[in-house]
Amino acid sequence: MPWKEGYTISDEKSLDDQEVRWPDGKRCALHIVVDLSVARGPAGIGARELGSPTALFAINDGLDLLLSALARHGLKASFAVPAVMAACYPDRIREIVRDGHEVAAHGFKHEDVSHLSRAEEAARIARTTSVLTEIAGTRPAGWFSLPRQQDNFAGGAVSANTMTLLLEAGYAYMGNGLADDLPHYWVTDFAARRAILTLPYYYHFDDQFFCMFPTEGTGLENPDALVRNWRAELAAQYQRGRFFGMTLHPQHIGWCNRMAAFEDFLTDLAALPELWNCTGAECARYWTTAYPAASRLQLAPSIWQDYPGSLS
Amino acid sequence: MPDNLSTDLAELKAAAARQSGRFQGIADLAWPEAAQIAVNITVDFDAMLLRRLNNEPPMELAKGEFGGRVGIWRLLDLFAAHRVRATIFTPGRICELYPQALKAAAAAGHELADHMWEHRVPKEPELARDHLAKTTAALEAVSGRRPVGSRSHYPPALLASEGYFYNSHGARSHRPYYVLDESGGPILLELPFHFAIDDAMFFSFAWYRSPNAGQRLSDTDRVFDLWAAAFQQQYRQRGYLNICLHPFVSGRALRIAMLDRLLGHMQASPGVWFATCEEVARHCLAAHPARPGAVAAAD
Repeated sequence: MPWKEGYTISDEKSLDDQEVRWPDGKRCALHIVVDLSVARGPAGIGARELGSPTALFAINDGLDLLLSALARHGLKASFAVPAVMAACYPDRIREIVRDGHEVAAHGFKHEDVSHLSRAEEAARIARTTSVLTEIAGTRPAGWFSLPRQQDNFAGGAVSANTMTLLLEAGYAYMGNGLADDLPHYWVTDFAARRAILTLPYYYHFDDQFFCMFPTEGTGLENPDALVRNWRAELAAQYQRGRFFGMTLHPQHIGWCNRMAAFEDFLTDLAALPELWNCTGAECARYWTTAYPAASRLQLAPSIWQDYPGSLS
Repeated sequence: MPDNLSTDLAELKAAAARQSGRFQGIADLAWPEAAQIAVNITVDFDAMLLRRLNNEPPMELAKGEFGGRVGIWRLLDLFAAHRVRATIFTPGRICELYPQALKAAAAAGHELADHMWEHRVPKEPELARDHLAKTTAALEAVSGRRPVGSRSHYPPALLASEGYFYNSHGARSHRPYYVLDESGGPILLELPFHFAIDDAMFFSFAWYRSPNAGQRLSDTDRVFDLWAAAFQQQYRQRGYLNICLHPFVSGRALRIAMLDRLLGHMQASPGVWFATCEEVARHCLAAHPARPGAVAAAD
């Protein structure tokens, strides 16, 4: 890879479809992420968000509906849980664990960390890890930094230090990356060849961007487009033999017609018998063994040159 | 009372006349071998460069990186499967980031063309010339051919002076047209590009800094219908279609599947000329040269 710090996070070319293998001869990975944050914007979850009808629906009825749908269809998901949500609703988190799902970290209160000092961000990661470990009973393997509806960008916000701090804190994977539609390595130190495994995320498969976006009042609801996106992407990825990931929020997908559309989608999964439904932790464990960074990450020195009058 | 309105009218009429005088359409446009339509598949391959230029945050750069790691390769596979050749508009800097993909594109017969050095045109004329020269050299080094086309905001005369004979940026007509200088002489051929046939308009969040409340993401069925209708409309009138794809957008698996259907749909009609922009431009220049001395809009 002609490496360029500040431009690229991984190597020059992804794996070809033919190079991808999944456990037990399965054809395509299926990763369901449930975001338990009720944050609206970069400030993260505050008292106002927690007290909103939307949040109460999310953690009560919405979560009930999602958990029962997943159980009925025998599917496992990764729940991205902000520390404050676990602290406020520990019993709900333990229910998620009892049902066999993964509890992963989703920030302290799903706040924007991009301008925090390194020490402050490290402290928040440590506290989040300890809160979730105590309530869920196991240390989280994955970390998410998903977008909020009032963010300026749809990819989720991280700081320049986030990935390094996650490695130092012992995280096995970062849950939402955009540079590939397979698990891939996000290089944190080019010289030392250090990298953190990153799982693919794409906002076109995230319910919040299709449900009355952005928050109540605009009426721009097009969950029909969301479901068509899911179906089109899953069909294409199944054919290629790669990875399909979807992101759900109980407050969005749980509502009436949307829940019905989601259930229809799950019912139709039965037509694709070679799906490997994995949690993020299972996917990371498999990928780092089958495709370890040490042998798979193809990094070559940069051929980038600095010129006067050009970006460095 | 001074007649401000008359002054306004006179000034605006003069401004409109100046603009009209810089444009000459092609009457009786006809394609080689009596083709019914010319289709240019164009690929704007800037990966994360524009996002870096705008100082966007890490996840946005990663979104662009998808285009270089994954998307461009999928588009090349798609074009090979349909035996169509495309024009890849590439910032010169991409030659330093994704040389493998660009070499593969050139080897497969696709055209590499200028898309600015780092996706901007410097205000300083000398630096603009320097950026264009750097891109020309970089693309020539990677493909073995000197580029002849551009998708950029460079002044037309600057492009012409560096040997470029077409740009694909404006949309003053559905069909190829000439950009003229002050005295009515032709400078460049324009191969019109329109935002209605640009994947990023439909499949992006906050494109061109549009506000959050204005976002409404499209699915591939909707865009297939829109673009198939655009093709049919131009096909009926022996026209021209320029489809703009970004590898970080259209390289996503669901959109490659949609484009596979769209190419199949277009190829099911007889007389579709899939060509590179260079081929369309050379045909127009040879068969429909600019009319000398023409100053006013022709059509």
